[in-house]
Amino acid sequence: MIAPRYLPFIVKQLVRHRVRTALTLAGVAVAMFLFIAVQTLQDGVRRATQATAGDTTLVVYRENRFCPAASRLPQFYVDRIRKIPGVVSAAPIKIVVNNCRASLDVITFRGVMPEDVSGPTGLAHKWTLIAGSLEEWNHRSDAALIGETLAARRGFRVGNSFDSSGLTVTVAGVIRSSEPQDQNVAYVHLNFLQQATLKGGGLGTVTQFSVRVSDPSLLGKVAAAIDEQFRAEADPTTTRPEKAFVAQAGADIVEIVKFTRVLGWGCLAAVLALVANAIVLSVQDRIKEHAVLQTLGYRSGLIARLIISEGVLVGVIGGAVGTSLALAVVHFGNFSLSQEGLSITLHASWHVLGWGLLISAGVGVVAGLVPAWRAGRREIASCFRAV
Amino acid sequence: MALTSTTPSNAPLIQCVRLTKSYKKGDYTITPLQELDLEVAAGDFLALMGPSGSGKTTLLNLIAGIDRPTGGRLVIGGIDIATLSRSKLADWRSRHVGYVFQLYNLVPVLTAYENVELPMLLHPLSSRERHEKVQTALELVGVADRHDHYPRQLSGGQEQRVAIARAIVTDPTILVGDEPTGDLDEDSAASIMLLMKQLCEVLGKTLIIVTHDAKCALHAHRTLYLEKGRLVDAKPSVSSRQGSAAQEVHT
Repeated sequence: MIAPRYLPFIVKQLVRHRVRTALTLAGVAVAMFLFIAVQTLQDGVRRATQATAGDTTLVVYRENRFCPAASRLPQFYVDRIRKIPGVVSAAPIKIVVNNCRASLDVITFRGVMPEDVSGPTGLAHKWTLIAGSLEEWNHRSDAALIGETLAARRGFRVGNSFDSSGLTVTVAGVIRSSEPQDQNVAYVHLNFLQQATLKGGGLGTVTQFSVRVSDPSLLGKVAAAIDEQFRAEADPTTTRPEKAFVAQAGADIVEIVKFTRVLGWGCLAAVLALVANAIVLSVQDRIKEHAVLQTLGYRSGLIARLIISEGVLVGVIGGAVGTSLALAVVHFGNFSLSQEGLSITLHASWHVLGWGLLISAGVGVVAGLVPAWRAGRREIASCFRAV
Repeated sequence: MALTSTTPSNAPLIQCVRLTKSYKKGDYTITPLQELDLEVAAGDFLALMGPSGSGKTTLLNLIAGIDRPTGGRLVIGGIDIATLSRSKLADWRSRHVGYVFQLYNLVPVLTAYENVELPMLLHPLSSRERHEKVQTALELVGVADRHDHYPRQLSGGQEQRVAIARAIVTDPTILVGDEPTGDLDEDSAASIMLLMKQLCEVLGKTLIIVTHDAKCALHAHRTLYLEKGRLVDAKPSVSSRQGSAAQEVHT
């Protein structure tokens, strides 16, 4: 740590070479922008695929199918699923996606029955309705409840109608949910979706069942019981916890995002090299000045800390700019990666901003260590002789 | 830790006993100072003269604690400073030494005020106390009106005055100058020497300067001549002899 009374001295040393400092700050900002963007991706994957202790949702899919267009299950299965011990609720869902990875502008239509939405065990328990009304949705067959991210991205408001995937729906409400899968969703009536997409099996056919169990510890047992129930049927099932299902269905996206971690580390290495280069150049310019400081009584350690503080300041300022820009772009861009109707949402959080600043400061410290140590260990008289 | 508290009243402030300094340069060993014996009393004003490479600056740097002897002893105020650790020696310098360089060595990005404040930042003082001391030092050397000027906005003489203010602001026991007038014109050099002499007398500092200029050396109480790292001659300066004569007349 350095006493605040030295701060003006440190700042003036940075301002001394304005262009050099500005270029270094710009480099750090760009590298941190990329690093935070990668971190946000990682966060999105983690939130969508990592199981938590409170998870109680199972997804029942057609065996050996991972695509909503290919998974077709009889709707009547739902009555048999509801009778399995441990099941609190089961909702048949029909899924239609507006594009298969053609863009990041994904809309996932989920056809659900009105009685599966409301009520204490209904799907609505995960949401907060931030605009519109559930009554309006119940009364109107082409009504849609849309996710907050989708509404923000497309600029949809209650009462607006929009076309997608050959469907025309009217926004009856906007929902806010912590669930990644609710961000780009448009919940519509199951009948409406079945009738509108006859190629996908039509009436009586659904894509999946969303099953809630009474206790997280029952997830495995109930999943096994469901699959056992339909093993001998024409359409056998595979049942998995929701996040495991997302992880498997979007395995290639998850792998790609994991690979980007390497890019993130590369960005950090770039920041380290940039700041270290700036500090080394700055220290080389000031060999005599540091000898003067030592002559005045400045200890080696203090000189080293002054130099490291310059690195930290460059790292933190550049990092703050890059991190803030990245978070702003992610926040206002409302981006999602989609795979077969499943969404991995990019989410900007204060937590990432804090990490960004902490990492920038840490990189600043590391970058300044060697030049600082060398500057502090120089013999004063030899510095005057050498310059 | 005041030097006077550890120095017996009759003991010299600075004692060099067979003081030697040598260092390697490639395959050669250079010995700029060889077994030099010297005593300097508190309040003395000493001029070191001699040809280039005679060891003047080396001796000055050793006394200022910015270089370490390779042989002999260097006792200042009862402390053998060669035995002090790097950190302790830095602390010692901050309390007891004020150094004036030939090329001023002010920090270019700091104003005159901030340059003088630099050594004060090491001392546990409030910003108000620091301000008072810096202001006093700038007034003593006559550049208080230039406090907000950067070194590039000052003349050579003014820069050296700021450097002197920086050297005296911590109230050191010893003031050393390595050719403090070497980069100045004749008039500026004379006024700087006069200023240093006055400061030495008014503030009671021990002043040691290295100079090539015999006129500057005239201000000193004693002038030592070095050659090839050895003391070859020592004599009181004219001003000192004049002072003694005046004293004799007076008595």
